[in-house]
Order: sequence, then structure tokens, then C-alpha cells
Amino acid sequence: MQFLRRFSERMKPAFEEDGRLKLLYPVYEMLDTLLFNTDKETDMAPYIRDSVDLKRIMTIVIFALLPAFFFGLFNIGYQQALAFGLERSLLTNFWFGLKVMLPIIIVSYATGAVWEVLFAIVRKHEVDEGFLVTGLLIPMIVPPTIPLWQVAVATSFGMVIGKLVFGGTGMNIFNPALTTRAFLFFAYPGKISGDSVWALGPDGYSGATPLAVPAAVTNGNAVELLNGVTQFDYSWSNMFYGLIPGSISETSALAILIGAVFLILTKVGSWRVIVGGLLGLVGTALLTNILAGQSSNTMLSLPPHYHLVMGGFLFGITFMATDPVTAAHTNAGRWIYGIMIGVLTVVIRSINPAYPEGTMLAILLMNAFAPLIDYFVVQANIKKRVARYA
Amino acid sequence: MKIKIQKGHNIRISGVPTGAVERADKFREFGIVPADYLGIKPKLVVKAGDKVELGSALFFDKKNPQVNYPSPAGGTIKEIIYGERRIIKKIVIATDDDEAIARLDTIVVENSNREGIIEYILKANLWPLIRQRPFNTTARPDDTPKAIFISGIDTAPLSIDPTMALMGREREFRSGMQVLTKLSGGAVHLTVPIGSSAVVFNNLNGITIHKISGPHPAGNIGIQIHHIDPINPGDIIWTVNVQHVATLGSLFNTGQFDPTVLIAVGGPAVKNPNFLQTRIGAPLSDLVQDNLNTTANRVISGDVLTGRAVEGEDYLGFYHSTISVLSIDHRRPFLGWAKIGNSAKVYTLTNAYLKTGKRNFSFSTKLNGACRAVVPINAWEDVLPMDIMPNALFRSILAQDVEEMEKLGILECDPEDFALSTFACPSKIELSSVIRQGLELMEKEM
Repeated sequence: MQFLRRFSERMKPAFEEDGRLKLLYPVYEMLDTLLFNTDKETDMAPYIRDSVDLKRIMTIVIFALLPAFFFGLFNIGYQQALAFGLERSLLTNFWFGLKVMLPIIIVSYATGAVWEVLFAIVRKHEVDEGFLVTGLLIPMIVPPTIPLWQVAVATSFGMVIGKLVFGGTGMNIFNPALTTRAFLFFAYPGKISGDSVWALGPDGYSGATPLAVPAAVTNGNAVELLNGVTQFDYSWSNMFYGLIPGSISETSALAILIGAVFLILTKVGSWRVIVGGLLGLVGTALLTNILAGQSSNTMLSLPPHYHLVMGGFLFGITFMATDPVTAAHTNAGRWIYGIMIGVLTVVIRSINPAYPEGTMLAILLMNAFAPLIDYFVVQANIKKRVARYA
Repeated sequence: MKIKIQKGHNIRISGVPTGAVERADKFREFGIVPADYLGIKPKLVVKAGDKVELGSALFFDKKNPQVNYPSPAGGTIKEIIYGERRIIKKIVIATDDDEAIARLDTIVVENSNREGIIEYILKANLWPLIRQRPFNTTARPDDTPKAIFISGIDTAPLSIDPTMALMGREREFRSGMQVLTKLSGGAVHLTVPIGSSAVVFNNLNGITIHKISGPHPAGNIGIQIHHIDPINPGDIIWTVNVQHVATLGSLFNTGQFDPTVLIAVGGPAVKNPNFLQTRIGAPLSDLVQDNLNTTANRVISGDVLTGRAVEGEDYLGFYHSTISVLSIDHRRPFLGWAKIGNSAKVYTLTNAYLKTGKRNFSFSTKLNGACRAVVPINAWEDVLPMDIMPNALFRSILAQDVEEMEKLGILECDPEDFALSTFACPSKIELSSVIRQGLELMEKEM
């Protein structure tokens, strides 16, 4: 790699203060430090530092996303084969999925990079690493049927309004990937509302998503209804493994759980948010199960373990809610934040007639409330201190 | 009282000092760096060419004119080095062969009252041995502290064990502790490691002993105060370095300034990490001479987390008992962020690399990343054993919101307590330095 190093050193003057390309310094800096670790030194105490930087943290999140990512690739092909009634090998399914996914990824990264670099040049700061994750998250939470122009428009919205106008990673209020998804949801409700499945199939190919099945019927039993679906296999185990249509990487609870364990073990994702979210979801679902007899709403009878594997909850709580910037910043706050996401997800799924899925809205709502939660946690700390001497 | 500190981390840095204590206290030059005394405005009472005695005054603090600062050696003022805006950076003293020593008549501690003792220490120019919290500045002789704290445990990287540092100075240490009981408005707290059987800490009269265990920063005085008798607004606590207690005791026993200090010399760039018996203000380059592995290195007076990097000819800090040397490494690994991990190249408090070593690690001065906005993954909180919300405090300091800072407990904080958090920060935020800024702002407002 010596020639690359030398090449980079040779190019450096052109991008520095008096160089012809000094406007593009953020781009040079980004590529240079992407290829080679920085050699910046400490100039005040402490004189030694941990090996971890933000690039590494973001890389860990990408590693954690990989199981769900690869499963998503396979599932695109698998669902397409199912829709057309084809017999295909595992590898061909992958290959088919890759052909669908790759353009979406390229569009998402390219759009995001343009905005990221533009803001870095105008605001004269370094390009930050947050986009490495956002750029991959966006393709994973959109349906495989999405037109590429929608990806570009929504990514632009998510990046600029969700993050860059606030000053970039670390300053934003809402998770940019989820902002992108919300934009799609509200701008193109006919396609993205989550009532009917997203799978690549023949013209007019459609069906109800698992969450839409019990929502459409009154006075039924959710589990029986799901097991009664013939078009897709909506049994619990099948939904756990994720062989159902849906957004590209949200379907497999198994693959997501592997990522979740990895995030928690590396201390990059907050276990408090994830565990809190699971507790909130299970607790609220148990409560609705008790109330189910009193109501004609079939969704109320959906047991907690079904809630867990259906829709985007697991993906959301693992990869979106744990975004350290937009989550609560205190440990007590993280518990409340996680639990409330779980609670709100079930509430929106069960009681709101307009949207079958509630995870996205639950997380965005709690993103907005996270600073308020932190405020109360900090005030409690202050009160404790004041009580000591007052 | 027994205190178990849970949060924190002992950094496994290579170059741990071992072996017997060597003597290195004969040098042609000694120096004082006024920046070691926080928050003072020095006004010189000597000029270049003047004769000084060991322990005679070099300068006093304009804000606190009764407090003089002592010369670490007897001889001639060789040079006074000024920095920008005529800040005094260093005072260099060339020693005479026959060193002149300032002497006072001894007084008997038992028969003296508090005022008499304070006056005596001031007269001997040794008042700067006593520092105060909040702010970690030289104590004000007019204050009466609610308690005095001495830490008999040092958890900082490559530090010297206080019981070892006091070997042979037990009698002085006892006298010093006796002086402190006269000075305190309340208790005198001494912390020792759990399980310590050191004789020097036994049978001390009028001293409250606390047993402490846990990883760094358990040995930091600020952490101990926080757990034993926290600082409230308006409180003053005095602290004295454990070796300086002996210095103080020896003043009362002999009437003169004994600048002896036992230090540890360690770090990855040191060939033979060892212990030295030397003197306050000794020239650092002579202390580490011929004992360094590489040519490109950074010598630090103090430990790697809180010390001061040398500039040119530099001298052992007044409050320091460690010299740490790091090598400077300009290598830039290819795609380092994508690697699985390598125990020889990676050291982290997260688990973000698969292979991180359990052996001592050769740290360099690398920042290992670039400055970014805060991404709160709890890296700060996980190594901060205090009931303080670092993130909220950090914001209130940046916002210069003095009222909020006080409510969040900044008076209990010191940069050294946040050094590990700064070490661990993935966004490479200079948290320690921000805490210092916050304290300076507070001090101005008070």
C-alpha cells in the first residue's frame, strides 16, 4: 500500500490552504483517513487515547447489520421465486437479490455522499462517518419494489432535514434513516403504508402483510387468522426465520437478533434501550391480550411473541432506537426511552386503525421526547445533590 | 469506612517501573514551572543573578500575597524564561557546590496553636504544599477547611506506591499528619488500600482512616472526597500529597525544606523503568538520560493521564511523582478501522476489536482518530465513579451556564477525575480540558 500512501502525500499540497483544490479538502481528508488511520497526536493530557474512534464504532454497526443484510438479499430472490412459482437454488436467490439491492445501495450512498460532501465544503468541517451506517440502513428498510428515484428523493430529505441542517452526526434530533423512511411513508402512502405486501411478483401480485391480517377482521383470533393465510406461510416459526415478504432486511428476527447480540457485546449499542423496548412491547401486548375479550379489535388478541417477529419492531429497536445520538443520553433515560418505544409500538399497531405498523412512528416520537426524558433524569440528579446541602 | 469503587479502569501501559530505588539528586540546575501552581499570578521577588537559598522565596502570588513559593535549590538564579505576554514559564537555578539552605528555629507542634502553625509554614515558604478543593489551587491561609484529605493509594498509570515512597520517612510523615490535625477545621481523612498492612499508616492519632479498593481513579483524591465527604457550595477541603506530608513534617522537625521526592520513571519508551530518589524541580532530561529506547519521544512530568509534556529544558513538577515517556509514532495503518483487531496494535475499553491483549500495551502519543461531535455510547460514564452526569455537565460548560454547572456538581470535579473518560471517548473530545475551563469560569464568578 506504499504507492497509495505516497500518492496521497503527493496530492496533499493541492488540497491544503494555498492549493488549487483547497475547496475540496474535506473530500481529500475523508478519502485519506478512510484509507489510512490518522496520525494526529494528543496535544494535552491525557497523552494516550483509546484505539476506538467514530469510524470504528460505525464499522461495528455495519458488521452488526450484515446478517440481516445477507438474509435480506436471499429473501428478495426467495419471495420473487415464490410469487412466480419457481424453483431456485440458494445461490441464485442471492444473486437475484443482489441485482435488486445493489442499485438501491448505490443510489442511497451516492445521494447521501453528495449532500454530506456539499455540507462539509460549505461549512468547512470534516466529513463525518455517520453516513456509512445511514447509507446502508436506508436500503435495508425499504421494500424491494421501490423505484430508485424515490430512494434518491427520500435519502436527500432524510440526510438534509434529518441530520445535516442540525450540524451533522451528533447534533441531530431524529434518526436520519428513519426520517428517510418516514418521508417515503407519508409522501407515497399508496405504496408504503404497510397494508399490502412488498414482493417482486407478476403484475397485480398482492396480499396482506402479517400485521394487516388481524387488523382487517373484527372479533377474531389473531393467531388463528395468521395460520389460516394460505398465500404466505405466516406461522410463528416462519416469521421468526423471516421467510416472508416485507422491507428488505426487516423480516428475519433471527438475523436481527444476531446483530443485536453483537451490538450489545461490543458495547456500541445500548442494551438498556433494546431490553427496555422488548419489555415494553411484551408487557403492553400481555395487557392488550387481557383486554382482548372486552373488545371486537382482533389485534388486541395478538400474543407478545407474535408482536416481536412481525413488522419492523426488532429491526427498529436494534438498529434505529439504539442510535446513541437520537436516543436518550442518560442510563435511566435509556430505559424509559426503550420501554416507551415498545409500549407505543403495540398501541399504534393495535389501536390506531390507520397504520398497521407502529415501530417507525414510535421511535420517531420517542426521538422527539428523548431530550425531555433526559431533562427529568438530570433534574433528579440535581435535586439529589441539592437535598444534600439544603 | 470501607469504599469499593466499581467503575474505572487500570490502564495496562508497558514500561512499569521495578527494582530498587536509585539515588539521583545531584544536578547543576534545578527549575520551577509556575504553571504547576494552578490559578496563581506570580510576582517575582528575585531576578537573574540573585543568590537564593533552598527554601527561600522565588515569587509570591499577587492574588494571595502572603503565600510565597520556595526555591527548590540553593545557588544563583541562572535564567528566568518568559512566554507570551510575559508569562513566567520557568525559573532556572544554578546550584552552588555548597548549597545554602534557609533555616528556621524549630517549634513544637503540640504547644502551638493553629495560627502559629500557619504562620510558621508561611514563613518557611512551604504553604504551596497545601492545596484546596474545589479548583485544586494553592490553599488560602485565611480559610478553615471542613476537612483535610490525604490519599495513601495511587492508582494512576506507572505511579509509585505511597508506602514505598514513604519508606525511611515514617517519622516525618507522622509529624506531618500531626500538623494537619492542627490545621483542619474538622476531620483529617487518610485513605489506604484495603488489605494494606503498611506500618506507616498505623497508630496515627486523630486521623480518620478509610479503606479503598477498586481500579483507577479510586486513588484520586477528588473521587475519595466525593465518596467520603462531598464538597457542597461554599465548602473548602484541603489536600496534601502523601509525600508532601513528610516534607511538611520534616520542616517542623528540622526547620528546613527537604525537597526529596521518590518518583517512578516509566512508559513504553523507557529502557529500564525504575524508581528514583530525587528532588522537586530536578531537570527531566538528566533524569531520563540514557534510559530511552527511541529518539522520537515525549517526556511527561506526571502520569500519562494528567501530566504536563516537556517543552525544551524542563523540570520535575512541584506536585509530580512520576515521569512518563511515550514514543511518537507516525505510522498510518492501511484500513485500520476495518481490521478485526490485533493485541499488539489495539487497546480499547469497548469490545470493538476482537483481539485486544491482556498484556501491557505500548502506547504512543497517537490520538487514534479525529475530533467529532459527541456520540454518547456511555464511554464517559462507564469509567467515572461519581454521581455526576458528565454529558449534561459538558454541555453546561460549553454554554458557560455557571448556575447550571454548579447544580450539576462541578465543584466536586477536577480534570484528573475525567482523564479516563477523555481517554475512552470515541469522538476524541478533550473532556478534561473542558472541565478545567468550567472550573476556571466558576472561580472567576465566585
